[in-house]
Amino acid sequence: MLRRLQYWLQRDKRSRALQEEMDLHLTEKAEELEAGGMPPERARLEARRQFGSVARKHEESREVWLTRFLSELAQDIRYGARSMAANKTFSALAVLSLALGIGANTAIYSFMEAILLRSLPVADPESLVVFNWQSPPPHNANKEWVHVMHGISGLAWPGAKGIMVSGMFPHAAFERMRDDNPVFSTVFGYYNGRRRTVSVNGQALLANAEYVTGGYFRGLAVSPAAGRLVEPADDHPSAPPVAVISFSASQQRFGGPAAAIGQPILVDNIPFTVIGVTPPAFFGVDPAIVPEIYLPLQTILQIEGPSVARDFTNQNHYWIEMMGRLRPGVTMAQAQAALAPRFHQWVEATASTDGERAKLPALVLNPGAAGLGGLRREYAKPIAVLLAMVGLILAITCANVANLLLARASVRRREIAVRLSLGAGRFRVVRQLLTESVLLASLGGAFGVLFAVWSMRTLTFLFSRGQENFTLHAGLNGNVLALTAALSVLCGVLFGLVPALQATGPDVMPALKNGRGGGTRHRTQQILVVAQIAMSFLILFAAGLFVRTLNQLHSVQLGYARENILLFTMNARQAGHRDPEIVTFYMNLRKRFEELPGVQSASFSHATLIASPRAGGILRGPIKAGPLAVDGARVLPSGPRYLSTMQIPLLAGREIDGRDQPNSPPVAVISERLARTYFGAENPIGRRISFPEEKRDFEIIGVSADLRNGSVKDEGAMSIFVPLSQVTPGGVTYALRSVGDPLRFANSVRELVRQADAAIPVTNIITQATEIDRSINREILFANLCTGFAILALLTACVGLYGVMSYSVTRQMAEIGIRMALGAQRRVVIWMVLRRVLLLAAAGLAVSVPVALMASRLVKSFLFGTQPNDPGTLALAGAILLGAAILAGYAPARRAARMDPLTALRQE
Amino acid sequence: MGRKPQKNDSLPGSLDMLILRTLSLRDLHGYGIVQFIQQSSANELLVEEGSLYPALQRLELNGWIEGVWGVTPNNRRARIYTITAAGREQLSVETRQYAKLTLAIARVMGTE
Repeated sequence: MLRRLQYWLQRDKRSRALQEEMDLHLTEKAEELEAGGMPPERARLEARRQFGSVARKHEESREVWLTRFLSELAQDIRYGARSMAANKTFSALAVLSLALGIGANTAIYSFMEAILLRSLPVADPESLVVFNWQSPPPHNANKEWVHVMHGISGLAWPGAKGIMVSGMFPHAAFERMRDDNPVFSTVFGYYNGRRRTVSVNGQALLANAEYVTGGYFRGLAVSPAAGRLVEPADDHPSAPPVAVISFSASQQRFGGPAAAIGQPILVDNIPFTVIGVTPPAFFGVDPAIVPEIYLPLQTILQIEGPSVARDFTNQNHYWIEMMGRLRPGVTMAQAQAALAPRFHQWVEATASTDGERAKLPALVLNPGAAGLGGLRREYAKPIAVLLAMVGLILAITCANVANLLLARASVRRREIAVRLSLGAGRFRVVRQLLTESVLLASLGGAFGVLFAVWSMRTLTFLFSRGQENFTLHAGLNGNVLALTAALSVLCGVLFGLVPALQATGPDVMPALKNGRGGGTRHRTQQILVVAQIAMSFLILFAAGLFVRTLNQLHSVQLGYARENILLFTMNARQAGHRDPEIVTFYMNLRKRFEELPGVQSASFSHATLIASPRAGGILRGPIKAGPLAVDGARVLPSGPRYLSTMQIPLLAGREIDGRDQPNSPPVAVISERLARTYFGAENPIGRRISFPEEKRDFEIIGVSADLRNGSVKDEGAMSIFVPLSQVTPGGVTYALRSVGDPLRFANSVRELVRQADAAIPVTNIITQATEIDRSINREILFANLCTGFAILALLTACVGLYGVMSYSVTRQMAEIGIRMALGAQRRVVIWMVLRRVLLLAAAGLAVSVPVALMASRLVKSFLFGTQPNDPGTLALAGAILLGAAILAGYAPARRAARMDPLTALRQE
Repeated sequence: MGRKPQKNDSLPGSLDMLILRTLSLRDLHGYGIVQFIQQSSANELLVEEGSLYPALQRLELNGWIEGVWGVTPNNRRARIYTITAAGREQLSVETRQYAKLTLAIARVMGTE
């Protein structure tokens, strides 16, 4: 076959050689005829006549190279299809389990492809580079923040060895990189504008916004679907305000790209003109957030107001992200070498103390082809774990189908032996059997794609868990389908090879005689079953750990109400409300909500408890409790009676209430842990919490019990509540505590808001319980998925075990018959079979437990409240496995015990 | 598989055998084989000349003969075919089968 392939690969060369041979033949023939006295012209014609059609003979010769292979393949496929149809139960079972296995792999891979592997849909993505920086950890020994970066709007994340990594830069750094570099053709910046209220013809909706510098679209090399895109001249303080919208936004809001051009729109109540539409495939630079509207960076000053103006030019505030497009022929390493000194020089000038100078950020360039790394950082590991799991499932499935094929081989043994003895080559028969198994796997793969489509939808739902702007486009594409096809063929070969080799092995002769025998086959079956059991245990153990993690998370004492709370978000500032009226507006709405029958209490805060930010948000910079720097407290500006609404117990003093007005003395409530940590045994009431950078000072008026805000997992959470009225509020999240199902108030809430101001959309209507679950979505996802995987794996392994035991009982019929004839009790017979089941299970466990203990360390970061080697979970998983094994083995055991000894003996 | 009856052959499928036999005596190029068969059968066997080439491809694919570029007695570039060990084995198999077959036919025809 290799030779045939080789011939086929060299077919052009061979074809030419053949032509030359034939030409020579004709020449020689003609010469011979001529020598016999024929005129040359006639001789040539005669030579041709005798030869027959040259073209046809050429064709026939070429066909020899491949046709036999193809026609044999067609023969094998027909034969395979017939034998599949003849064993419907077997085929259906095999195809079904393969479809589940291959489908699960396809689905998870499609996510991996979407998140980790796909390139940005722009021209030449390989020449794009993302700017990052890294520096030593920002805290000094006293846990004080000493870093040239005083504030950040965006993310910094820990790298290896505690270093700090980020992709945010001050605007001045961007200008320096843009204007002074020999290596990039364009350097462009962007800033996530989050959700903005966009009104078209009086209809207000929230839309993801992205602020972009003038070079953004040119740097990404994107051409508009209609109109023109943002250019450097648009990104200027005196330029008329213009906006570019996404293709889908143009369809939803204007009925098409062309209709949108030149239309007026309001972004947070500020008029803009739509000048262009991005192409349909374009999704910005971050696969996690798909902008619907792109605004010139300078317009941020009009939209977000004075609070941002000060950040805009602040050389110590890091907020803008950057990418660059390399000039042709420049490598990333060269660019890094060229820009790092320039950045160092710039950043050094922004440091004001020696402490800051000691750990200056260093520029790091990363490949930008796949866009930003946020999603990758978040999902890379979970997806790797899931991929490992579904890989195991597929391996179990393959082992199982191999086992079924082995069992079936005993039926086909005679057929194969006959074919072999009639002179069919072993290779030929193996090939035929492999064709059958690949056929089976391909069918499995085809159904697997259907299953994958379904599970992708489910997974997208599970991943997003109701996040409104979740935009992960996993889907079938060429890459994914190619993987599925490859996987199917691989599986087919994998599970087909061993049975095929064994069935055609050298010991076929005994098979012709009695159709029994096959000791090696039985051993192979047992090995396969042990492997299945071992792999199932791995999945079972992982599922156990994840379920335990979820239980631990659910049993955490939150310190606030979980049930009967409705949350929803709105932003009056985006609709044009300004200080101080905006506070009154929020306060009045609160009263209206509280008056709704069935609502016990209503209040609001800057964010939900679970999303409450660490220092940052409205009040920025370091926090001081007297002279001490407070590290890691979460600050939540909130409305009157917020603690009562959330049922957070008050331990001392009073909570924030209606007395705390914009012009009354600034006050704060702190949590118990914060009080104990920074004020010790002293009474904190009357002491102060201050924000030096904001020049704000709050008198402590109360102490609340500890609560897990920010994260369910944060045992050491410390909280500071300040009146929302005493800071500059933007959007707020209301909380309504109700009697009974809180979601039934959703419509009344919308109606009340509409009456108050129709231009304000109400978003994120959700119950507190769902909001909390959303924050532990990954754990829920893992627990559910892995439980499903474990059940699937266990079922498959049990089917395998059942098959092996049934076969082994049949083989031992005579022995069992003799024993029973000699008076063996049924119990003894049952035990005889079950003992073997337990032995197999024990062998599987012996292999698996050490592997499980090692592998579980890799998922340590996914666990909460349990250790990776948790003995309880290990024991439980082991018990479930043994239980399942006994169940699977019991049916054959009982059959053995019910057997009539005489019949059994006679059959031999 | 795939051996089409050769019109001018006296026996279907015997072309392969004839080629192998010819090459077992000496290495030859395509036209040489045709000439040899015709001459040694005293022009009784007329090989359909075009069919020779598919047959040569088939035999080479099966590893029974091997073609290498060489020069004919007339100093022309041509593929010269050589029989391989496997080819000789095949020849002996086919020879035996052929002998059996002709003997059987002869018996039936009462010519034996």
